[in-house]
Amino acid sequence: MRRALPVVLSGALLLAACDGGGGGQSSTTAFDPASCQGGTLSVLNQGGITHLDPARLYTSGGGNIPSLLFRTLTTRNRQAGEAGAKPAPDLATDLGTPSDGAKTWTYKLRDDVFFEDGTPITAADVKYGIERSFAPELPGGAPYLRDWLQDAASYQGPYKQPEGIKSIETPDARTIVFKLGKPEGDFPFLATATQFAPVPKAKDKGAGYDAHPVSSGPYMVESYAPKKSLILVRNPHWSTKSDTLRYACPDRIEVTAGLDAAVINQRLVSGAGQDANAVTTDAVVGPEQLAQLGTGGPLDKQVARGEFPATYYLAFNTRKAPFDNEKVRQALSYAINRTSVVNALGGSTVAGASTTFLPPQKALGYTPYDFFPAGTTGDPAKAKAVLAEAGLTNLTIELTHQNNDAEGEGPKVAAAVQDAFKQAGITVKLNAIDSTTYRDVTGKPATQPGLSLQYWGADWPSGGPFLIPIFDGRQIITAGGNFNLAQYDDPAVNSEIDAINALTDPAAAAQRWGALDSKLGKLALVVPLAHEKDVYLFGKNVKNAVPDGWRGTYDLARVSVK
Amino acid sequence: MRLLRDRGFRAGAAVALLMVLVAVAAPLLAAAAGQDATTYHDDLLDSARGGVPLGRLGGISGEHWLGVEPGTGRDLFARIVYGAQVSLGVALIATVLQVLIGLLVGTAAGLGGRWADAVLTRVVDLVLAVPSLVLAISLLAIVPQGWPRPLLLAAVIAVLGWGGTARITRSETLTLRTRDYVAAARLSGAGWFRIARREILPGLTAPVLTYAALLLPTNMVVEAGLSFLGVGVRPPTPSWGQMLSSATTWFRADPMYVLLPGGLLFLTLLSFVLVANGLRRVLDPRQSEVLR
Repeated sequence: MRRALPVVLSGALLLAACDGGGGGQSSTTAFDPASCQGGTLSVLNQGGITHLDPARLYTSGGGNIPSLLFRTLTTRNRQAGEAGAKPAPDLATDLGTPSDGAKTWTYKLRDDVFFEDGTPITAADVKYGIERSFAPELPGGAPYLRDWLQDAASYQGPYKQPEGIKSIETPDARTIVFKLGKPEGDFPFLATATQFAPVPKAKDKGAGYDAHPVSSGPYMVESYAPKKSLILVRNPHWSTKSDTLRYACPDRIEVTAGLDAAVINQRLVSGAGQDANAVTTDAVVGPEQLAQLGTGGPLDKQVARGEFPATYYLAFNTRKAPFDNEKVRQALSYAINRTSVVNALGGSTVAGASTTFLPPQKALGYTPYDFFPAGTTGDPAKAKAVLAEAGLTNLTIELTHQNNDAEGEGPKVAAAVQDAFKQAGITVKLNAIDSTTYRDVTGKPATQPGLSLQYWGADWPSGGPFLIPIFDGRQIITAGGNFNLAQYDDPAVNSEIDAINALTDPAAAAQRWGALDSKLGKLALVVPLAHEKDVYLFGKNVKNAVPDGWRGTYDLARVSVK
Repeated sequence: MRLLRDRGFRAGAAVALLMVLVAVAAPLLAAAAGQDATTYHDDLLDSARGGVPLGRLGGISGEHWLGVEPGTGRDLFARIVYGAQVSLGVALIATVLQVLIGLLVGTAAGLGGRWADAVLTRVVDLVLAVPSLVLAISLLAIVPQGWPRPLLLAAVIAVLGWGGTARITRSETLTLRTRDYVAAARLSGAGWFRIARREILPGLTAPVLTYAALLLPTNMVVEAGLSFLGVGVRPPTPSWGQMLSSATTWFRADPMYVLLPGGLLFLTLLSFVLVANGLRRVLDPRQSEVLR
């Protein structure tokens, strides 16, 4: 949860990204996974395929493209809508058996799973894959395991410490047991990450494994040029019998990276030649396509709409004046004009106004609240009144933002916030920081500005990975990589977080995460601005492009071009 | 005046003058329209369609004479006239600075000794050889936020673009210093400074003025380019280059938004080039000797 990169960013780093997945999907006839096989699927992407090594990928739910190559202990269940916010067994036979108050998790592996060379997958391969992800030579993965596993925080990977991690036990070839330092009811969600993909020790080449990771999924690598292209062909040792979640329809998948979003969308719209069989995992529609959508035109049949759980928000540093003053934070909460912000993010089709920090997904425990009602366009009069109460007039503040709009934390949103606060008599100076160093500056309490634009995406659909990094006082990291930007530390909140973590029933946990979000909302530690909505196009020959409820995007393992 | 008989010059000068007037009177014009450049009008946008202006031709109406900006609803007329202020102002200041630096270095190189000339000429070569856009981007990226942005832009453009003026000044100075009247002045005991001021500078007026008239539009393009690349003026200050930059994603959904700043930039550049051409024709002695 610490250095957890917001998932839009990580999505761009990997191959996966958050896409659309809620409703308006046009399926004509019933889709039959048994007869969908054949053809070549093209994937047109902006983000480079920087890594393929499962240790180095940071994914939500195993990612989109990575999930074609790697099977993990569990995976997202690939259902549409709300039902999709749950894990399902993948390599394991079930979601895991908790014991010792959710401090020990035991998994049994299927006996019909094989690597691309026909070798059976064993518990030792899964354990080795996890141990590799601790190696400093292979950075990039999610940091949770290092936090969660007992006595593993200082483990340096199997190259330096071949004895391995003691808290992962493999009593036999089909059983793997995880011993955790504290109760973690969300373990089956974490087990969807690519770090839980098996890696055969004999084939491991350290950093060189990136060039051709050994596949356990329906496809394997035919050729791979980092940041340029990736060609996948069928893995002969994978079978639908052992994997009912992935349909693996196309015979061949060709990924092209480094394209411009506008170009990708234009190609998907025109659908010339092979582009009719194309999809994208990271190019959100632009204004050009939005203007054509919803008009009943042909494009309405080529769009998938979903919602990846993510929030855009204003983060206060409550250790810095004037934001240490609760009245100031409240006044800004009243003054915000969420309509301008939504428009700056691309309009109501790709973003929705939010008054809660948790995005509106039931799985995260969404509980509606609006303690500082700003209406749709802000309440400058109320904001002025609150400031006057605090004896403040002619307030001047600085808002830090990224220097480009790619991640929705750029000048456009900043200018919208600036104008809203101006209506309330607050002068905002804008401070742009290069997007590549933005997190270094905001994530270090010593350099952190008083007010900044931020984005947070869920590493998995649960309230924990959403609230813990932002509000757990023990997650304030002075060395850098901090996301508790309010620098808020309340022992009562910390112990409530521990109590919810121990719950293994997601529904019960969700309810309490929602209550906690509501309690924190009253303190105005952040100003929630908007939540993400994802709208992705696909080529006209592409079938079954149904967005799943976990990632909000259509699943490459399920689309067909036949 | 022969200059005014030049039709191209007349047209160019008229448009250029109009643009300058618009820029100077921007606050008055915006007030006359009852708008300002920064207020958001979300009610004028179709949010579901990505924020394109409601209504025809980019939301043109009695209140918003040129429509509103997609995504924000800010008044385009106000943004265009305030944008003219930035575009023209930055270009003008940069040109003046370039001419001053160029004159100083060029005359010093032309009148100085062999060593001074060699050193200064190499410096000029260096300035001309440096990829100025790349350097400008990096310079503007590292400067603290608090500095006044338009002045900074002008200074950076000037510092990276005075090489041409210096070179022209130097070569002209080298020819002028061999003239008899310069020799006479030297013999009568005049110092180098006095010679530069009284004998050389008047002779430089024509070529430098013509060159400056061509520099101005070039600087406008550079400013637009830098703003387009996101290192120009900071929001919410409008500039034509910045508008063009954000228009790239809108050009199909809202063509007016790209046509306005693009067309105005084109028109202004064309007018200044016409003015420069007219000046050159009149001031260049070789041109004036052409038989008609």
